[in-house]
Amino acid sequence: MTLDVGAELKPVVVELTQDKIDRYALAGGDGNPLHTDPEFAAKTQFGGTVAHGMLVLAYLSEMMTAAFGRAWLSGGRLKVRFKAPARPGDTVSAVGHIVRAEGGRAVCAVECRNQRDEVLVSGEAEVAT
Amino acid sequence: MPTPSLDALPKGHQLPPFAFELSPDWVREYVVAVEDEAISALDGGLVPPMAVAALGVRALLDGAKLPPGAIHLGQEMSFLRPVRVGERLSISARIVSRGERQGWVLTGIELDVQGDDHGPVMKGRATLTMPAGREGES
Repeated sequence: MTLDVGAELKPVVVELTQDKIDRYALAGGDGNPLHTDPEFAAKTQFGGTVAHGMLVLAYLSEMMTAAFGRAWLSGGRLKVRFKAPARPGDTVSAVGHIVRAEGGRAVCAVECRNQRDEVLVSGEAEVAT
Repeated sequence: MPTPSLDALPKGHQLPPFAFELSPDWVREYVVAVEDEAISALDGGLVPPMAVAALGVRALLDGAKLPPGAIHLGQEMSFLRPVRVGERLSISARIVSRGERQGWVLTGIELDVQGDDHGPVMKGRATLTMPAGREGES
């Protein structure tokens, strides 16, 4: 991909479902009922189940792998804040663009947003170029 | 010995070491779960870096109970080298910060992951907040 400042990364778009969250809970070994038990989650401040933060970050990481290949796996850095939960039924879009390219590294602003354009995760990803 | 609750763990607490073999079945299960189509476009046998990070969370959950209401606020990670299917990873996690305010605990956890060669493959830091319990003070 072009490494010009402002260049957009190809987004990763995922339709989130409870089945997908459950599948991640099994694979990731994180069966916290906040993610998997609608009855339990309904009584929490979230009012329903939410996706694991690390599942949402996997979509960002896929975007970085697609854009930068092995360089992401060997020297990639990610620093993010979770802003809002991703819920079953959400369409989660991982997006990013290059904000700096210096010293052989590219720094990207990255975000995950839902279909209402709410920011779920935001931060920076850095990779050797 | 009962598993301690994360909110009660003091700064400096080292969680029990956690080892995990990246079996082909587990990696396949993870890749299907996160729908990662990019990793398969690279050389065969590479593991998505977030799979390694997910194991860091598993190490944490293995060593401490996450109190109901815990919220993952932030995450930092550095991927130091590619990891291959079949590698056995060793994960260590420790509490590097703990603060308490208005009934909520803010905890920072540092993760170090080593590969088969005992060299580092990932470093990370997670920040969580959770309601304070009654047990333990830092």
